[in-house]
Amino acid sequence: MSEQPETMDLVFRALGHPGRRRILDIVKNRPGCCVNDVCDSFSMSRIGVMKHLRLLEDATLIVSEKEGRARKLYHNAVPIQMIYDRWTTEYSSFWAGRMTKIKYRVEEKDERNG
Amino acid sequence: MADTTKIVSKIHIKGTIQEVWREITKTGEIQKSMFNMQLHTDGLAPGAQIRMRTKNGKYTGVVGEVLEFDPPNRYVHTFRFTNFDDPYCTVSYDLREANGGVDFTLTSEKVPVGTKTEKQMRQGGDWIVKTLKSVVETGKPGMGVRMLYVLFKLMEPMSPKSTLTSNWPLEKSVT
Repeated sequence: MSEQPETMDLVFRALGHPGRRRILDIVKNRPGCCVNDVCDSFSMSRIGVMKHLRLLEDATLIVSEKEGRARKLYHNAVPIQMIYDRWTTEYSSFWAGRMTKIKYRVEEKDERNG
Repeated sequence: MADTTKIVSKIHIKGTIQEVWREITKTGEIQKSMFNMQLHTDGLAPGAQIRMRTKNGKYTGVVGEVLEFDPPNRYVHTFRFTNFDDPYCTVSYDLREANGGVDFTLTSEKVPVGTKTEKQMRQGGDWIVKTLKSVVETGKPGMGVRMLYVLFKLMEPMSPKSTLTSNWPLEKSVT
């Protein structure tokens, strides 16, 4: 698959900020939520949230749709899938997947005990 | 009624809107971006029946009915996997010319939460848009997808009885 460098740059730039990653978590867990729903989960100003949403949308990590007067937000998994496709193989993803599962399980246990 | 959700997959494809439209609506040959299935229909227009069948026509994986057909921008149909007993979803394909190529959006709506259909639609949407990109831009799906198609072909005889084409004639409306 041919690379569209400008797209990948936008994706990595959008992901390179903890606030934007948090917004992505919120939208992923609540497909169809509105900008206000995102603002409610943040101490950030509405203008700040809008700015971050714009960058996430430019990278197509978030897709928005107008429904009546509301603008609804959806998480688009395709850009991250393309990063995954580029740097993993069937073999490496199998083992890497097992490694991350072990990490999550152990860390979850530590958190419960800790 | 059970909870439903909406899943959106979007990608930019370097190609013409006609090429992308043709890939998703062509009949009489397999669609490499749609799991190597072939589209059968009694005429792509609202109210028409659609079936996605294997190349030899023996099995039918997906059945539905056309809701909207507006070339080359929008195509909407109802959708059900023949091997799951879940309610029908709605699938929309939206094509828009942008930045010298095409923005292609695949939206699945009324997807029943927590079902096998939901799981398949989540993986399927991303799969279709990225394979379609590869087919339009390079003429073929990526390596991993091609390998999987070989596997599909090998597993075809193990398909459940509910997927037999004889259960899903075009003459019989599904909704």
